[in-house]
Amino acid sequence: MKRYTKFTLVMMLAFSLILSACGSKEAENNKGNNAETGSTGETKTIKIFQFKVEIAEALNRLKAEYESTHPGIKLDIKTVGGGSDYGAALKAKFASGEEPDIFNNGGYRDLETWFDRLEDLSDQPWVADAVDVAKEPMTKDGKIYGQPMNLEGYGFVYNKDLFTKAGITETPTTLSQLEEAAKKLEAIGVTPFANGYQELWILGNHTVNVAFAHQNDPDAFVKGLNEGTEKIPGNASFLEWTKLVDLTLKYGNKNPLTTDYNTEMTMFANGEAAMTQQGNWTQVQIDGINPDLNIGLLPMPINEDAEANDKLYVGVPNNWVVNKNSAVKAEAKEFLNWLVSSDAGKKYIAKEFKFIPAFKNIEATSEDLGDLGAEVVKYSQAGKALSWNFNKFPDGGMNEFGSQIQAYVAGKSDPNELLEQLQKAWDSLKTK
Amino acid sequence: MNRKKTSRLTNQIVFVGPAILFFILIIAIPFVLGLYYSFTNWDGVSGKAAGVGFDNYKQIFMEDSSFRDSFWFTARFTVLGVVITNVAGFFLAYFLTKPLKTRNLLRTIFFMPNVIGGLLLGFIWQFIFVKGFSALGSSTGISFFNLPWLGTENTAFWAIVIVFVWQTAGYLMVIYISSLNNVPKDILEAAEIDGASRMQVLRSIIIPLIMPAATVCLFLAISWSFKMFDLNLSLTKGGPFGSTESVAMNIYNEAFSKNRYGLGTAKAIIFFVIVAIVTSLQVKFTKSKEVEA
Repeated sequence: MKRYTKFTLVMMLAFSLILSACGSKEAENNKGNNAETGSTGETKTIKIFQFKVEIAEALNRLKAEYESTHPGIKLDIKTVGGGSDYGAALKAKFASGEEPDIFNNGGYRDLETWFDRLEDLSDQPWVADAVDVAKEPMTKDGKIYGQPMNLEGYGFVYNKDLFTKAGITETPTTLSQLEEAAKKLEAIGVTPFANGYQELWILGNHTVNVAFAHQNDPDAFVKGLNEGTEKIPGNASFLEWTKLVDLTLKYGNKNPLTTDYNTEMTMFANGEAAMTQQGNWTQVQIDGINPDLNIGLLPMPINEDAEANDKLYVGVPNNWVVNKNSAVKAEAKEFLNWLVSSDAGKKYIAKEFKFIPAFKNIEATSEDLGDLGAEVVKYSQAGKALSWNFNKFPDGGMNEFGSQIQAYVAGKSDPNELLEQLQKAWDSLKTK
Repeated sequence: MNRKKTSRLTNQIVFVGPAILFFILIIAIPFVLGLYYSFTNWDGVSGKAAGVGFDNYKQIFMEDSSFRDSFWFTARFTVLGVVITNVAGFFLAYFLTKPLKTRNLLRTIFFMPNVIGGLLLGFIWQFIFVKGFSALGSSTGISFFNLPWLGTENTAFWAIVIVFVWQTAGYLMVIYISSLNNVPKDILEAAEIDGASRMQVLRSIIIPLIMPAATVCLFLAISWSFKMFDLNLSLTKGGPFGSTESVAMNIYNEAFSKNRYGLGTAKAIIFFVIVAIVTSLQVKFTKSKEVEA
């Protein structure tokens, strides 16, 4: 009998453990349900999972401000980006059931992938204010599924003082002029190019995009690649583009494959290197290291046609999207609307994030944007802009293309082999 | 009779039940789900998935050269990793069971890397390889430090091996120490009196007697190095140009960055089968070498 009591005790203990575990889960579920029905008095948390490392700090200040003006709402902001693989991290979040309410989407191919999870935002008040080109990546069948974050542009960020010191009076707009400039810079003991080629996104998105953007019709070219009517090997723009890659390597820093984004930017901001392939998003980082640096953006020429080359690559890097299955959908939408229509939100976009606004109702002076942002605005207003195509790549394209270009950088392949490898990567990745 | 049976049943439910429950929830169900996904073309995100039969497996064996490359990399890494960590772990243990004054301090120091997570270690060593080594190289001029450590295939491979050994040798050392302490003193003394040299004692007495520890250590080292992921991710991310991509990382990329969850799980199943075969062979083999004192 005594033994029985012991067993009963143990069993009771075990059951109570299991019960308490179930109980706490139930309580959590209740919380979720309440949020959905919108009962008052409870704190609702909007989980935001975002990609821009550059604005992570400013977002925290924005969070404090939003929470103080919106009692009952809490923002839970997580940032994964920079050198990390945001897409993979996001998928892991979804796979583990921790779905964020607001996250980022690159548009085009990315929109297709995540389409089943996205809330239709066409009826939102901000849609009318968005710049037309900025709506393109997130538009499907006439509906809009994401709020453009900003506009960005890239090219070669360059140090104006070093250029003057080297005696370069005219900004180079052709490949040979760029080589001239590089030679002059080398003559005064400066590394012409800082290459952060350890980062796959630098190579696999931005660098390779140069060749795509120089096609007569990039969209048709991408479509042709998917249908097998276009080929990368033998393509004129791609062949010319390898010359530009060669140039950056010939006049670049030592060990480009072990140089990451931070090292690259530090080299540039310290004045060790005069140029680096980056965009206006680096302004915040450069200001953090050396606020007095006199900088600008150069086009990335691939041949001798000055007019065709004097352009920057401008596009929408990312969009805010709302999770269709979120319990706090309404609150999430309200937050996004607040971000682009309230004075506080607008102030953050223009002055704190230093974003080039993708909305007509947000004004940003060149003082807010910094030198680089102002340069992008100048180029795009003059119509001197080429498109961003990397979000049209098949899934995993960035990693594969980046790896192939790394192999080229290491001297494992010649230009023709590189183009063939790129073609092979495209063929194996495209959806059949 | 009947009472005895029920009491045995309750016994089993109480003591094994919780473990089985969690095993089913955390391991068995995901495994079965993975097996199911490996026969579909699910992309990991959308609600649509269609069965494709054995197409995923066919594709892996017929077309996927990157999976083969990563397998070759992992195999080479495993051989080197297992041998070096075990040899290093054993000799650390061997010397740290000698009467040294700083014995406990040294044991702690060698064990320490194991306490730091692999992800963090990877980042620390990335800094050492990229910044630390090049700073040493430019101040001393020794060419060893001037190599682009994470920039070429060979050096990046060795970089991962070095960090892996540094991380795990300490753990194996602890296992070997406990086993070395259990070697009966009388046998050692007898051998000494019989005039056996140090090498002879080591080879004919100590090593056979610590074979149970070697079974455990080899098993751990093999499964760790086969499944190595965090170190790989933080140290090289599979680079340069995909040359140091371990199988675990190849699977992760397939599922999460190329959005081919079905293909990724198929690779994971193949990987599971191979690791299971290799480790069970190893356990069987080393078990046969174990002797009783």
